[in-house]
Amino acid sequence: MGTVFSDYYDSSSMFHGFLANIMGTRFDIVIIGKGKSETAEVWEKILSELRQLERMLNRFDRESEVAQINLRAYEHPIKVSEEMWAILMDCRYYHQATLGLFDITLKDFSKIILNEDQRSVYFSQKNIHLDFGGYAKGYALKKIKDILIEADIHQCFVDFGNSSILGLGHHPYGNSWKVGIKNPFVEGEIIDEIELRDESLSTSGNTSSYTKHIINPFSGEYNDERKLACVVSRNPIEAEVLTTTLMIAPPDKKKTIINRFDINTDKMKEYNL
Amino acid sequence: MPENDKKQVDLSLRQFIKELGYIAGGTAILSSMPWLQSFTIEKAREINNEKARIGLIGTGSRGQYHIHNLLNIPHAEIVALCDNYPPNLKAASELCPSAKTYTDYKKLLESKEIDGVVIATPLNWHAPMVLDSLDAGKHVFCEKAMALTMDECKAIYNAYQKTNKVLYFCMQRMFDEKYIQGIRMIHSGVIGEVVGARCHWFRNHDWRRPVPSPELERKINWRLYKESSGGLMTELGSHQLEVSNWATELVPESVIGMGDIVFWKDGREVYDSVNLVYHYSNGIKITYESLIANKYNGMEDQILGHKGTMNLATGVYYLEEDNGRSGIERLLNQIEDKVFSAVPIGGPSWRPETKKEYKPLPILKGKMHVNKGLSMVGAEKDGSDAILSAFCQSCITGEKGENIVEEAYCATLLCLLGNQAMEEQKKVKFPEEYKIPYMKF
Repeated sequence: MGTVFSDYYDSSSMFHGFLANIMGTRFDIVIIGKGKSETAEVWEKILSELRQLERMLNRFDRESEVAQINLRAYEHPIKVSEEMWAILMDCRYYHQATLGLFDITLKDFSKIILNEDQRSVYFSQKNIHLDFGGYAKGYALKKIKDILIEADIHQCFVDFGNSSILGLGHHPYGNSWKVGIKNPFVEGEIIDEIELRDESLSTSGNTSSYTKHIINPFSGEYNDERKLACVVSRNPIEAEVLTTTLMIAPPDKKKTIINRFDINTDKMKEYNL
Repeated sequence: MPENDKKQVDLSLRQFIKELGYIAGGTAILSSMPWLQSFTIEKAREINNEKARIGLIGTGSRGQYHIHNLLNIPHAEIVALCDNYPPNLKAASELCPSAKTYTDYKKLLESKEIDGVVIATPLNWHAPMVLDSLDAGKHVFCEKAMALTMDECKAIYNAYQKTNKVLYFCMQRMFDEKYIQGIRMIHSGVIGEVVGARCHWFRNHDWRRPVPSPELERKINWRLYKESSGGLMTELGSHQLEVSNWATELVPESVIGMGDIVFWKDGREVYDSVNLVYHYSNGIKITYESLIANKYNGMEDQILGHKGTMNLATGVYYLEEDNGRSGIERLLNQIEDKVFSAVPIGGPSWRPETKKEYKPLPILKGKMHVNKGLSMVGAEKDGSDAILSAFCQSCITGEKGENIVEEAYCATLLCLLGNQAMEEQKKVKFPEEYKIPYMKF
């Protein structure tokens, strides 16, 4: 059980919530201009949403829905929950939109048989697994954004493990939320600043201690370039999916792919470090 | 020096204590550190018109260090100096020419002009001088450790119970801001449950002073001989054991250890290498190590908690789980300070395993005085000046410095028990006859 912590700063009408160890990373939220009890209530909703998503999408948790699918879908079709179904549909859409580069099987999405009548999933090949690593945080951020909007919160900053950030409204003393992009290879170096206003930012890249986590489903090879990609979109899922894709996309395919995404192209960045 | 040129040496600490009172739980902290309670800015102003008339007994290097501090304390006046080693008395006299000089401390004690004495003499002289000074109706400030033997410590403790005079021992960490703040953080749970302590003091120095003629060897190099010194334990370890007790709020019930002369085989009697384990009843241990033929590890007082490590001497702490929240903390501070700038946060996904090394976090923000343990006399801003100032204040008000004698007593007893364990090569339990009500085991 990770640390949960929250604090309210009366002087700035600011709420800060922190959750360690969620979906393999940590989560921070800063809400401006709302009262103590209102923010506490929203924080409870967010916590339960995050925990529920982790229970569904964490493939390393044997009890999770994804783990159950991975364990049995090669034996026979598995009926899935409504939300899982929607996620699978979404991932299939992005698989096509990225010319097959975004792939939750990490090797061959065509081996996933989705039966729309049954709402079931079946693996037509052994050793196929679902991995939502390149999707889940964007999806979670999208759901959190919906919770915030519903609670009438319009000034808020969410940091989901540094790589997925949501800025609603603006910093109380500026007209956006300004995020410094850190060079993962040089401690303390900021390579760029990106302004967010009702937008989310997704960053993808390797670090000196952590490469080999972005795989090209066609070649089966891990990307180990000293590279960083940033995508800004009003839709956190779009940003999340595209940023990982950009890490592995062949240069001649990028334009086609990018055109299929609803992103702020002015703020899309790729850095060779 | 003219009055208004005197910088109040302890102003920073007094301000610090005042601010402690403002923070959440600050009152509780101050009540757990009662010796700080009267150390207020207001009190400093109030007593500034009065002066504690101080006599120094022992004017060697540490005595002269105290003279330098006393000269900066507005409510102190050095009126007498005493030493039986002429070069040291002369050197001190040059620092404060108006002070009367003595070669016999008993004569100094007869003087009616003196409110309090500062004793900085070899350890074997502490007990007779402290007891005689209290008997003579003087307030007393004495160097650590308390005394050379457990019986002497007990005699001082008993005398203190009966006297209405003020008695301080120079447990300067009790007046060192980074220790006060660090202990406060420990007690408020920042490093979780305290699970251990590791203290060490390493130097690469023979610990000798030059001797002009051979018959002065034992007088000048008193630290090296058992008749006048408890060696590394009383001279260095006493502070560190005190801090461990302060952090755990307990006193160890037993100790084992080994001591040797491994390098400085020059006729000295005290160990130049000691390794001890002090054991608290709840299983927490202090691992204590001191060696003066290798200085790589320096001096550190580490309190280990299940969530972090407080490295009091170096003024930093480390958390076991680096939550990597610095970016968000910057944002929170910005907003509190009404500032808008970029939050350095974006990058590849943060993962707990990406933690490469422990990041030091400062115990005190902005002001740092780190004692590397190299000086043989004293470090700057290690609390020595503040505790001396507190003593001078007490000389005027008559108010005792709470817990200071008790802490010195506990720490010194532990040093002496450590020496006993090393000499007898066996585990030594805290003897019943030396327990005092202050101690919790």
